[in-house]
Amino acid sequence: MKMKRWKLLFLLFVLSLTTGLMGQAQTAQPTGPVTVSAITESEIRLIENDIVPAAEAMPEDKYNFVPTTGEFKSVRTFAEQVKHVATTNYSFWSAVLGENPPVDVSNENGPASIKTKAEIVKYLKDSFALGHRAAKSLTAENMGERVPSEFGKRPRLFLTTFTVAHAFDHYGQMVVYLRLNGIIPPASRQQR
Amino acid sequence: MKHLRMMFLLLVLCVAMGTASQAQQPSGSAAPAQQPAQPAPTVSSFVDRQISTIEKQFVEAAEAMPEDKFNFTPESLNIKGADYKTVRTFALEVRHVATANYFYWCSVTGDKLPEGIKGANGPEDLKSKAEIIKFLKDSFAFGHKAAATLTSENIMEMLPFRNNKAPRLQLVVAPVPHAFDHYGQMVEYLRMNGIVPPASRGN
Repeated sequence: MKMKRWKLLFLLFVLSLTTGLMGQAQTAQPTGPVTVSAITESEIRLIENDIVPAAEAMPEDKYNFVPTTGEFKSVRTFAEQVKHVATTNYSFWSAVLGENPPVDVSNENGPASIKTKAEIVKYLKDSFALGHRAAKSLTAENMGERVPSEFGKRPRLFLTTFTVAHAFDHYGQMVVYLRLNGIIPPASRQQR
Repeated sequence: MKHLRMMFLLLVLCVAMGTASQAQQPSGSAAPAQQPAQPAPTVSSFVDRQISTIEKQFVEAAEAMPEDKFNFTPESLNIKGADYKTVRTFALEVRHVATANYFYWCSVTGDKLPEGIKGANGPEDLKSKAEIIKFLKDSFAFGHKAAATLTSENIMEMLPFRNNKAPRLQLVVAPVPHAFDHYGQMVEYLRMNGIVPPASRGN
């Protein structure tokens, strides 16, 4: 939201590549050519590192917040934004892996049984664990292979990266919800 | 909402019609059933479709904001307890995304950046809605050009980018999630002005 954010994103990405520290991997990484797996995993980590802290930044008593100034009929609550992103993550990244989703994805806003902030944040975090597995499964040989997904057969690489783009869409909405509650999104705080 | 389904429907239509970039106004329910099976996707084709998806949504969202609201930020609503100090105006969101598009995609295509880009929000002399939307639309043309360069052989090729190097695939794809981030903010700005984002209408 704030100036030069995209530069920061890219610097993070380049740093992660050039230092061999893909994400949290603290141990020595094999040096060698950049792989499609490493590229997609770094994309997943970018959104994960933005959206999980954003989800954590909203106080529990505001989790069902929706904006009211303007035309906001039937929009998702903050909780539903988070659950929707996570549910989509589970659905598409499972498809990349050729697995059944580990959660019920029949409702695009996720299972009704997941209600508290702690449950929702855990649901989100666990979805990214699946994303990292999906990214790791990509190779130059299999990335173009069409695999069954909720929306028909799609290339593995597309399903992996489109899920990131989808999450950024909702992240952009969530930061507005946060600011409406006087909360600077964690990813924007160092820029004040 | 059901935004995701619409994005995918758009994509399916693009694939089925073979018109990935400038697909005109698909209706959400038009199933592409009668089309023959499409050829195996290339990395170029499905990256291009991702660009087309955000292009359509983003340009339509930019166009949906009236010119007299183009410098809107939520700060002007004086909502009690909100914190919108120093955020971008709607116009700057659009200019910023377009500028990032140029930076990434021109690094792939080798094209020169447009004149006047001095910072992350693009040329300061772009003021009118028409000028800003043209700047935006033109940026996506470089996205399609950049996507067209991708082959399974060259996607990992390291290209110069802002005093560093990055893989070609990353340079082509990165502007898509970046634009979606700002799109997500812009749809809220539209709604704050009583405007339902075009991609969400009918849901």
